[in-house]
Amino acid sequence: MSFQQELRQLFPGQIRSVDATGNNEIVILLNRSDVAPFAKYFLAEHHARLATVFAEDRVAPERTYYIYYVFDRPGESPWLILKVPISSYEPSFPSLAADMPALNWQEREIQDWFGIVAQGHPNPRRVALHDNWPDVHPLRKDFPLEMVLPPFVGEQHVYRPTLGEGVFQIPVGPVHAGIIEPGHFNFAVAGEPILYLQLRLFYTHKGTEKLFENMPIHRAVFLAESISGDSAFSHGTAFCEAIERAANIQVPSRAQYMRTILLELERVTNHISDVGAIATDVGFVIANAHAGRIREMLLGICETLSGNRLLRGMVSIGGVRRDWDESQLEALEPTLTLVEREFRDLVRLIESSDSTLDRLEHTGILRPEKAKMLGVVGVAGRASGIDLDIRRDHPYEAYSQFDFRVPVYDAGDVWHRTQVRIDEVGQSLRIIRAAMAGLPPGPHRAPAQPVPPGNCAMSAVEGWRGEIIHWVRIGENNRLERCKVKDPSLNNWPAIVEAVEGNIVADFPVINKSFNLSYSGTDR
Amino acid sequence: MIARLLQSVIQIFILLALAPLVSGVIRTLKARLQTRRGPSILQPYRDLRKLFGKGMVIPETASWIFTSTPWVVFFSTVMAGLMIPMVSAQAPLGLFGGVLAVIYLLGLGRFFLALAGLDTGGSFGGLGSSREMTISALAEPAMMLAIFTVAIGAGSTSLTEIAQTAIGQNWRFLAPAQMFAFAALALVLIAETGRIPVDNPATHLELTMIHEAMILEYSGPYLALIEWAASIKQLVLMTLLINCFWPLGLHPGWSGTGALAGAGWLLLKLLILSCAIVLIETTNAKMRLFRVPELLAVAFTLGALALVSTFLF
Repeated sequence: MSFQQELRQLFPGQIRSVDATGNNEIVILLNRSDVAPFAKYFLAEHHARLATVFAEDRVAPERTYYIYYVFDRPGESPWLILKVPISSYEPSFPSLAADMPALNWQEREIQDWFGIVAQGHPNPRRVALHDNWPDVHPLRKDFPLEMVLPPFVGEQHVYRPTLGEGVFQIPVGPVHAGIIEPGHFNFAVAGEPILYLQLRLFYTHKGTEKLFENMPIHRAVFLAESISGDSAFSHGTAFCEAIERAANIQVPSRAQYMRTILLELERVTNHISDVGAIATDVGFVIANAHAGRIREMLLGICETLSGNRLLRGMVSIGGVRRDWDESQLEALEPTLTLVEREFRDLVRLIESSDSTLDRLEHTGILRPEKAKMLGVVGVAGRASGIDLDIRRDHPYEAYSQFDFRVPVYDAGDVWHRTQVRIDEVGQSLRIIRAAMAGLPPGPHRAPAQPVPPGNCAMSAVEGWRGEIIHWVRIGENNRLERCKVKDPSLNNWPAIVEAVEGNIVADFPVINKSFNLSYSGTDR
Repeated sequence: MIARLLQSVIQIFILLALAPLVSGVIRTLKARLQTRRGPSILQPYRDLRKLFGKGMVIPETASWIFTSTPWVVFFSTVMAGLMIPMVSAQAPLGLFGGVLAVIYLLGLGRFFLALAGLDTGGSFGGLGSSREMTISALAEPAMMLAIFTVAIGAGSTSLTEIAQTAIGQNWRFLAPAQMFAFAALALVLIAETGRIPVDNPATHLELTMIHEAMILEYSGPYLALIEWAASIKQLVLMTLLINCFWPLGLHPGWSGTGALAGAGWLLLKLLILSCAIVLIETTNAKMRLFRVPELLAVAFTLGALALVSTFLF
């Protein structure tokens, strides 16, 4: 019995339509009231994971909003998307956050941005918008991009009070001493141990999803690249893939291989720099000095290959912007060999430093059951027993051609998040070598062609932090109607709250660094 | 009397002038070991000049404690510096029991710093003060025991007499009591000067700071005074360690050539000790905060062993 038949039998009369024309996704149209039983069924019976939930304003053409629930079923490549119309006369949807805490922030984002009420949400406060933001919703189509709001006055965000003898509050941020992005951390501490942590993000909200609307597609690639500066190529690729799927553009295999190589270079660069940064945060600065040196070699080769140290401006719709000649490729192999050797030395240096390991082991433990509950993805997830890697589970580009191992650990402490990075650097170097050896000849870019309006598509890319999802609807004249962006940081921030509990305040920086989440990607 | 005054003036000058240099040398050496070029060894002087030329921001909630602390810290540290033998075994000042006064003058500065950290009501200041007090409560007894060991050997708590006895004894460093006391004092030195593995003087992470967290609200000339005092304190403790245990090149009394030779030897020994500090800082990660008491317990035990072994050997 096929999956669709099974569904129709279990939920007779509830499925309004099924669209499985795209080979990447199955879209099931449902009524609002049927979402919860479907979601629970997928989660319980198929051990599916609810990857993301987002909304779309179709009030002008269809007099309805849509909410999309994206499910990832283990072992099944196509994504399962529940598409739920929400009447514009009664904009509300049943909240699933009480059963699935992973949706907590994402449902509230829908509330803030579309004014669709999440009914029954356990904590329905503002998350993405300022608490004093007036009752207007920026992602609705009738909210003009140029709209100027009156300045906010009055009270600030109210944090959960900290009560009790000898219990104190330590507010940290939103502006920090280091050169990092803004985010407010409110610790409740009893002496040194942290009782709980309250997070407040979205200080760098730039309205990126709104900016995408009506933007010409070729220009939107650059916007996608700047969603999170350290994942420029991953976000750019995710965006281009979504457009290519919507427009049915066949990316030449040479371009797929080139993208694979560059994606892995981005991963290696960031992982190595993270390993160094984690060492810095426990005062083992020498390791960071070496990591910085290795990173510099990689940035150099990135510039050789793409013209930009952070790989910006390289990916384009239909392929990549520039082809490589022999001399560029010849420069890659010696660098990889050097990086591999130097990184092995660096790992040995860290592993032989007992004082460093003592700080990293058993610090900031994120238990697998918590990680699963919160829908943690990427490096942090794999260190907490979540065996998830888009490259393997939903192969894109040339990944299906290569053999690689996905490191998974159960310990969930700072050291294992470091260990996952160390293992992945090795695997990535293998993939890069294999891709170089098998780099096919041919064009590096499919010819440009107009994209048919109305088409929708989703893409997922395993960025170095974790799963990046882009969903697009094409508008008229090669412009975008909507682009939904989900950065892995959005899933993982709430996990930090769990990981720091019971640790001491002085260990927070290194725990935070071991996740190394993007503020910009979360806030968009 | 005039000679005493002259000695004091010279020693004050050495303390003020040399202390930033020692910090600069340690910083530069550390940078070199980390494959960085690092700032010039004169950078601490430039920092001081810059800070003295700046305006100050004083929190509205600050009381007289906040404004008087930099002066108290600075002068108590310089006073302590006058009581230790630097270029000659003869310390310019010897008041109130010598070494005990040194320890408690430094303690006075720390007490005011901790108060100032709490005074402004900032969240990090209190954090720093509580950590500093926890650590010093453990470091101080260890330091006392180590110093008493030496004092018993010399039969006096006057640092002048301790140094003079050390010179006369013809290098008794390898005696068990001396070695234990030396190790204990070396650990205390690391803790008191806020170095890795106890504290990280170069960090920007407010949540991990100890000393830096207390002075987070200070700026301009006040910050300069505190920074200067911190480097003087480091110099004082290093000199104390050097001249009590390794008085090589030290002349028992004051004389022009003797002081000059003593100064030369002091510089050399400071450089060697700086190298040792740099090596420890580079090869170690910072300890988990709750492990620091264990380290200081080791220092205390070593100090106690030192004291006991003076009677045994």
